[in-house]
Order: sequence, then structure tokens, then C-alpha cells
Amino acid sequence: MTKAHLNKLDNEALSALLDGEQHLTDAKIAEQDVTTFGRYALIGDAMRAQKNNNDIHIDISDRVALALESEPVYADFSQSKTQPQAMTETVQDNKVVAFNWRKPVAQLAIAASVAMFAIVGVNTLPQSNNEQQSEIPLLQTTPLAGMASPVSYSSEPALENAEQGLRELQQQRIGALVLEHQRQARVANSLETAQTNTKASEEKN
Amino acid sequence: MKVITFVLSLVVSFNAFANDTNPAKDLLLKMANAVHTRNFDASFVVVKGKTMEPYRWVHALQGDTELEHLSLLNGAGLEMVRIDNQVTYFEPQSEPYSLKTDSIAGPIPEVLFKDIDRLSAHYDFVLGGKGRIAGRAAQLVRIESKDEYKYNYWIWLDMESSLLLKAAYVNHEGEALEQLQLTHISVTEQPAGMLVEVLNRNFPTPLPNNALINEDSTATNWKISWLPDGFELLKSDRHKLDLNNELTDYYLFSDGFVEVSVFIQRPLPGKRLSGALTSGATTVYVHNGGNFDVSVVGNVPSMTAKAIAESVTRAL
Repeated sequence: MTKAHLNKLDNEALSALLDGEQHLTDAKIAEQDVTTFGRYALIGDAMRAQKNNNDIHIDISDRVALALESEPVYADFSQSKTQPQAMTETVQDNKVVAFNWRKPVAQLAIAASVAMFAIVGVNTLPQSNNEQQSEIPLLQTTPLAGMASPVSYSSEPALENAEQGLRELQQQRIGALVLEHQRQARVANSLETAQTNTKASEEKN
Repeated sequence: MKVITFVLSLVVSFNAFANDTNPAKDLLLKMANAVHTRNFDASFVVVKGKTMEPYRWVHALQGDTELEHLSLLNGAGLEMVRIDNQVTYFEPQSEPYSLKTDSIAGPIPEVLFKDIDRLSAHYDFVLGGKGRIAGRAAQLVRIESKDEYKYNYWIWLDMESSLLLKAAYVNHEGEALEQLQLTHISVTEQPAGMLVEVLNRNFPTPLPNNALINEDSTATNWKISWLPDGFELLKSDRHKLDLNNELTDYYLFSDGFVEVSVFIQRPLPGKRLSGALTSGATTVYVHNGGNFDVSVVGNVPSMTAKAIAESVTRAL
């Protein structure tokens, strides 16, 4: 019996376990390679989703965690003075500007707050009994976690692709707008104080 | 005789002051004071529809220096550090930067940490009921908009320490759209060591205030003919957006409580739909203006955002 054959047999047992044809025991799970287990679970999810029209859950948390690990650390207060380089660098770099608008397009990664505004479709149904409200078409949003299947505007596959592209453009723009609003709102307070001060001094004169 | 007149005028003015006081407003001022003077370590969550953002909020008064640290604990994160009148923002994907301002622009409206009296023209302050929030006796104070174009804001304050325990943006049907709830707070005598450590660190030098106001004013390019009462223009310019490098004409308005951004951009190709997107209290209204696209972002009802967006015309 070759080794490859052995593996195949193992996986058959795993498949049976996930399909509920075999009873679950801790030892059985421990035997299985974790990645194989995850892959089989996903396949099972996909098949059941087709049957029951359910959502598929893809766990990207480990990949996000990996990406986070490679992020530079700016102010880690938990480790006193162990990473002073990061802070001194920012001081030496006197190009720190309030708003860094001249950024390459390559940085299209979308911030967490932005992802909440991913558009999945347009809902023109009245959203409440309020007559005023019902006049507004509400673009449907979905949080990043609970993926709903995207609703396409048309049944033509070619058009669908084009619309997908457009939707992405619009999504990118809305994400950029929300982020920009958050940033601009930060200066609002100091601008307002400055404005009231000038007004007060004008009234004095 | 002069002395008597002086004393009389003092009494009169004191009476006038006493008549003017409103218990709800007093409580809010007390909270503003407590937030600036207490050493505390708190955790809270912001609930927006189906999403939730957890934050940690630490404040300390070290001698005469105020130290504050607010951080978003989920996702890529966001760190905000304040040392007296300097706030530094640490964000993923961009260089940290500092601003000269005396409060952190986080999920709690900044005006609540200051003299809320300037809101009196457009908001009423009403005392609500008492309840138990985060395990403490709490008093509800409602900040109610005088017209239907803005949301109301409800705040629950700790009856003992006057600190904020819960807050919510509430629409005019009485539904909470976005809630902020403390899950834990500890008030201590001594400032937290973690915060005092901040004093030994270097932060980016803040830009002078006038550098924030761009000389290239676009205020004459567009006419925004409708805004709710009380909103004033804070800045206008033309710049590129950070995320997608798109050029935009930009206007920032505020009524002292909420900010509204108006973006005017070249139209996107294809069929553009006008519509509103909401997340918690934040509304994004996208309006197809023909030869241009108008987007309005802010913590206002979608009807208001729609009306503002549709009032934008090319200035003649």
C-alpha cells in the first residue's frame, strides 16, 4: 500500500465525518490536517449553500492578522521605550502634513470603516411607512462580515461584468468620501474656534 | 450710593443668571468638566446597525497637562493621542499627523467636551428619566434638534461622577440609529502609567492653524442654495481624495454639533443612480447632477442630505 493511497483513505473518513455520516470524536479531528479540514468544511458549505440558498462563510481573519503583523507600529504604549525608532523617525520626517493627498493609486486598500459601505444593490422599495422617507432610493449596504450575494442589475452576463466594474468604481468613490469626511471633520473644531475668535475680534473693533 | 447700585446690579444679574439655568445644560457642563479633570480608564462599544466597534478610552490629568488616548480595537485600528492642545492621529496606510485642537474627533461629538451653550440657538436641552447603565445610576439628558433636519442626541450621565455612560443618535421617530455604550469604567486617583509614558514620546509637529485653510478657494465655483439653519461654511477647496486619487471640489459645513461634507466631482461613467447609503447615523447621499456628481456625507437624516445635494448648482 502506497502512502498516497493511505492519505486518500484518511480523507474519505474526514469527508464522511463532515457530511454527518460518521460520529464526531475529538480524536478523529485531531488526526486530521487542519488545512484539509478547513477546505473540506468550505466545500461542504458551498454544496449546502447551493441546496438551501445559504451564505458561505470564508474566514479571512488569519490572513488579516498576517497583514497586520507586517504593519509598522507607531505608538505601542504597552512596550515602554523598546521601540523608540518608530517615533524618532516620524519626527525627523518633517514632511508630515495634515493631509497627505499626493498618494499613489497603488494604496487602494480599503480601510475598515470604508468596507462597511460596500454596495450590493439598489433597493427602491419604500423603507418605512414614512411617506417622506419612501421617496429616497436606498442603496443597500452590507457589513464586511456577513457576505450577502451581490444582486446584479441585469441578466446579461456581459452587462453584468461591466456593471460589476462600475459598482466597484462607485464603491471605491464612496469609501474615499467617507474616509475624507472623517478626516476633514477632525479639523472642523479648530476651524470653528478660529472662526468664532475672528468674529469676536471683529465685533470688538 | 455707588456701592449700593453695584451690589444691586450684582443681585439682578445673578438672578437673571439663575433664571437662565437649565438643569439639563448644567449636567452637560458638569460632564464636560469631569471629562477634563478625572483620571479614568473606560471601554465602550459603538453599535451601528449590525456592526459594532469597540474602543478603549483613557484620560489622565498629570499636573496641569491633560493626557488622553482613544483607540479603536477591531480591524486595522485607529489610535488618537491628545496632549493638552495637540491631537495626533495614527491611521493604517498613512503617516501619523498632529493637529492643534483641544479635543479628539472620535465617535463622541466634540462639542460635548466644551461649552455646549453655543448649541442653544438650534438645539433644546431636556432632562429625561433616570435608569441604570453600565451598572451605575444614570440620568438621561436629551439634546433635541429644533427642526427635523438633524438628529437628536441622547446622553446618559453617571449621577455620581457626571461621566458619560451611554449616548445615542435618535431620529424623530424615537429610534436609536447609532448607540455608544460604556461597558466598563474605572475612575482612579492616580493617572494611568501608560498615559504618563506618552509624555516621553515625540509626536509629529502640528501644522499652524492657518495652513489648514487653503488659499485656493472654490467657494465661487458652486452654489449650495440650501442648508439647514445654523450650518456655516468652515472650509472649501479643491483637492485629491486619498484613497482613489480622484479630484473633488470640497465644502465642509458645521452647525457646531455635526459636520456635513459636500463633494462635487466629475461624473462616473455609465448609469448613475441617486440614492442614500446609511451606516448608523452616517448618511452618504449620492446625487446625479447631470454634468457632475454631488455627494453629501454627514450625521444627518437622508432627507437632509438629499435636499443639500439637490440644491447644488453651477455658479453663474
